[in-house]
Amino acid sequence: MSKWHISRRRMLKGLGACIALPFLQAMVPPGKSIYTMPKKPLRFAFLYVPNGVHPDMWTPAQTGRNFELSPILQPLTKVKDDILVLNELTNKYSNFPGADGHYAKTANILTSLPIYKTTGDNLDSGGISLDQIIAKHKGQETVFDSLQYGLEQISPGIDTNVGFTRLYGCNISWKTPSMPCSKEIEPRMAFDRLFRSVLPNTKPKNDPWKQSVLDIVKEDTDALQRKLGRSDQDKLEEYLESIRSVEKRIDNEEQIKAFKHQITPELQKELVHLNMRIEEAEMYLGTDITEKTRQMLDIMALAFWSDATRVSTFMFGNSVSNRNFSFLEGVHGSHHQISHHQNNLDVLEQYKRINQWHVGQYAYLLERLKSFPEGEGNVLDNCMIMYSSELRDGNRHSPYNLPVVVGGKGGGMLKTGQNLQFEKNTPLSNLYLSMMRILDIPLECFADSTGELSEIYA
Amino acid sequence: MLKKVRGAWLFFLCISLSAYAAEPESEALKDLRLLVEKHCVSCHKESKMEGGVQLDGIDSEGRITRAGHLWMKALKQVQAGEMPPQSEPPMSMDDQARFIKSINEILAKALKEGAGNPGRVVARRLSHDEYRYSVLSLTGVDFDAKAYFPADGSGGAGFDNFARTMFLTPLKMERYYEAAETILDKAYSDKKVWRQLVPNPYKESWWQAFVNWFLRLFSDYSSSDKAVTEAEKVIVPFASKAYRRFLKPEEKEPLLDLFRKVYEGTEDETRYDIALKETFKTVLLSPKFLYRIEDEQPLGQPFALSNFELANRLSYFLWSTLPDQELFEVAYRENLHNPAVLNKQVKRMLRDPKAKRFSESFATQWFGISKLKDNSPVDPERYPEFTPSLRKAMYQEMVEYFHHVLTSSHNFLDLIDSDYTFLNEELAKHYGIAGVEGEQMRKVPLQDRTRGGVLGMGSVLTATSLPIRTSPVLRGKWVLEEILGTPAPPPPPDAGQLPEQEAAAENASIRDLLVLHRSKPDCMSCHKKMDPVGFGLENFDAVGRWRTSYGDQPIVAWDTLPSGEIFRGPAELKKILLTKEENFARVLAEKMFTYSIGRSVEFIDEPYMKGLVDNLLENDFHTEKFIIELVNSYPFRYKVNDGTDKFKSITKK
Repeated sequence: MSKWHISRRRMLKGLGACIALPFLQAMVPPGKSIYTMPKKPLRFAFLYVPNGVHPDMWTPAQTGRNFELSPILQPLTKVKDDILVLNELTNKYSNFPGADGHYAKTANILTSLPIYKTTGDNLDSGGISLDQIIAKHKGQETVFDSLQYGLEQISPGIDTNVGFTRLYGCNISWKTPSMPCSKEIEPRMAFDRLFRSVLPNTKPKNDPWKQSVLDIVKEDTDALQRKLGRSDQDKLEEYLESIRSVEKRIDNEEQIKAFKHQITPELQKELVHLNMRIEEAEMYLGTDITEKTRQMLDIMALAFWSDATRVSTFMFGNSVSNRNFSFLEGVHGSHHQISHHQNNLDVLEQYKRINQWHVGQYAYLLERLKSFPEGEGNVLDNCMIMYSSELRDGNRHSPYNLPVVVGGKGGGMLKTGQNLQFEKNTPLSNLYLSMMRILDIPLECFADSTGELSEIYA
Repeated sequence: MLKKVRGAWLFFLCISLSAYAAEPESEALKDLRLLVEKHCVSCHKESKMEGGVQLDGIDSEGRITRAGHLWMKALKQVQAGEMPPQSEPPMSMDDQARFIKSINEILAKALKEGAGNPGRVVARRLSHDEYRYSVLSLTGVDFDAKAYFPADGSGGAGFDNFARTMFLTPLKMERYYEAAETILDKAYSDKKVWRQLVPNPYKESWWQAFVNWFLRLFSDYSSSDKAVTEAEKVIVPFASKAYRRFLKPEEKEPLLDLFRKVYEGTEDETRYDIALKETFKTVLLSPKFLYRIEDEQPLGQPFALSNFELANRLSYFLWSTLPDQELFEVAYRENLHNPAVLNKQVKRMLRDPKAKRFSESFATQWFGISKLKDNSPVDPERYPEFTPSLRKAMYQEMVEYFHHVLTSSHNFLDLIDSDYTFLNEELAKHYGIAGVEGEQMRKVPLQDRTRGGVLGMGSVLTATSLPIRTSPVLRGKWVLEEILGTPAPPPPPDAGQLPEQEAAAENASIRDLLVLHRSKPDCMSCHKKMDPVGFGLENFDAVGRWRTSYGDQPIVAWDTLPSGEIFRGPAELKKILLTKEENFARVLAEKMFTYSIGRSVEFIDEPYMKGLVDNLLENDFHTEKFIIELVNSYPFRYKVNDGTDKFKSITKK
């Protein structure tokens, strides 16, 4: 038991929050071990919506604390005090000559740098994406450093018309500027990867030779690399990196123990329930997209609650997604098509309804997180769940004044319940920089950032 | 370590760039720059990039060469008088001549310098299809890799076997591991399959076990020696097949060591099989299986691929899997670089049923219908008749048709126009063709020329439509890109599209709505190229059925192409497209070059591209002759060192 104790917050204050602080044993309150201490990790998620929003129905009329939700934001009523609506943020480098269409605005939504125009050679997203930077700093304490989810398979082919590979429109998480993270789109697989081992009545998988197998293929790779040219070496480096992260999953006994410790009876009940829902959907529902979306978001929410990860991204669709939304009342047609509404009132109405559906799913996620108790509050209190699109108005492919909401109190660091108006063309990266500050990742700047958004701090 | 190397290259780059700056500029470059500044850059500069084209900032010939294809296009357009456009001051005859001459000079020089460079492709990970078929060849287990692994993107000419857009992320690695387990469990659970893999099962008799125990008491006798000897007979051929070459002695040892370790560490009477499974798993996870690796040779000049490497390129090109016994033997005993040997193999491989994998992979990706395999892009309420079985039949029509063209009709022009197609009962009914019964796809002769060829296929017509209506623009765009190879430039940012419901209304004439939007000057220049082609296909609805009217308005499927030809209906449109066979040859050559080699066509490949295009034009688009030309080509059989490549491109800047 520690003989003396200092609070982490006090220590931070004393240091003026100028350095990222390692978690010290001395900060564990007396009488508690590192596992039993009610620690409240901060989580970050980014939800990407393709094809922009109805430009006149998004922004609430009033600014500040007393604002009324706009028509599109209506579904957020129950969590209105937990969100920040941020206006006039722009991703500057999504707009460069030749950045026609959606791709150049999607791939870099979390890197805030210009992408390289290519149909496949020299893929470059400009930089490592925000979520992956956070994963590097904060992901080491959890079983998964980050999770990438979506609903649509990577679109095949290249877009000859604008000269980009469609790959750019299907990835927002970039491990390196030239390598996107793979995203999972099937609830079954995503669930099993995280939770299969902690469901009741499942036998742990016995695989005593895994490490020996991995050792051999690692040696294989080393031997090969020495004989190959540079770019081949890079490809194999990618392979080695992946092997190492699989190994980490075996070695990380501490993380796994911590994770299993998090699986309380309440959480397990949720897991069992979700597992059943996924099973049912596979058998009966076919492709009810609302249910599938919610399953994916539930997995994300439970991953946060169980501290399986603290970083995640989710793509409602690939950019230019032409998902058929005729299942919504009053909507006849597909997403991308309707987003080019040409200011036709009837089409705009349909566009609005599609936007509302997306915000509705976002609201579902926030409400779920809010329903999970944690410490004296709930999980949402310790989250920053960002929601945005690559465009404002899909009709004009306008990248200015992006639709941005942040949900969650950021561990008490965010002053939520506000609609904030920034100066025109404020860099989106200023928000990223501010979130990094809250996450305790000291950076002087992020891409084109010019400062932090002090208005959002509590 | 790698970073340091990268840093060194960067340093080197700077040195060589500054060294280059000292060289005097050629007259051609100076001339060209003056002309470009005078006539082009007001629109095509970095800050404006009209039509996505940038022509300013040409500070070296290398810069022009690297964008060689763009400059060739510029040259053609100036030659044809299409550029500068009518709204800008025209080029004088003298300027035009000098413009053409200087580009020609610079590009010709670059081609001369680049001659004999076969290019190089980075180590290619197996695509998901290739993984599936390789596993099938190797273990006899059919594993649905596409459903199990996170999807890859496409690159180059739009194929998913493009080296630079295939990655190995941690998630994929996890899946590879689990896949290997699943595959081997499946193989083990099926006695017949396992017997194929392990023909001589080894089992300790109880007497042997007793003797071993006894011997161990008195010495360090290892009881597993005999098992290892037996296992070696299985492991070595398995690994050789998986790595697609002979196993090296230093590669054998770790595998046998693992086998021994597992064998000795397992208390189970099936331990021989368990140990083999772990060893096979290791092979399935090895980079030597997952990547197609070609050895680097310490030479300063291009070098021929080894026989095995060439066999691999061939086998993954035509079969999407590893070489079979015969190809492996030929690679071992004969010289595959000998055209007679190579051609014999190509002919044999095209006749093999496995070649259908190439037809499927290549055709469905080229014509953009691969998404139809698993998903319906169609609104189910509007088109309830578009059932999963119909969708599958459409997909299969393309595969069967392409394969027939490849192996029977031997004429790629059949892809544009023919008097047959492949149907089953459901699809035939959908097309309104009588007399086809049963689920089986078969070749059906057609009465007229509206359907035959990819333009009349339900798959293509559906994939180029919107969920509830047709889109002449999308169809026209598709023909320009995939058949003619002349994509239109991107639309201006606020061009907008047609409102869905009005256009989908039963009696709405899309033509009227589009004509309206074509009247905008911004849109006209491109839409006059796309729309007429699309209108020519308006007789096919959004799921590819024949129709003659929108509600009560008759369909007018005639139009004039910008080049002046007039046509009425799809049959006449196809006839016109057939006259543009040079365009089609070029598209075909580029697509297949990229698919088979795994890298983009670069400007220095032009001489080879010309060879391929000429081959098509001279041999009536003969399929086999073309493929033989391709696999005999220098870029297919040779490659150049990474280091040399870097060095060259850097000094050329």
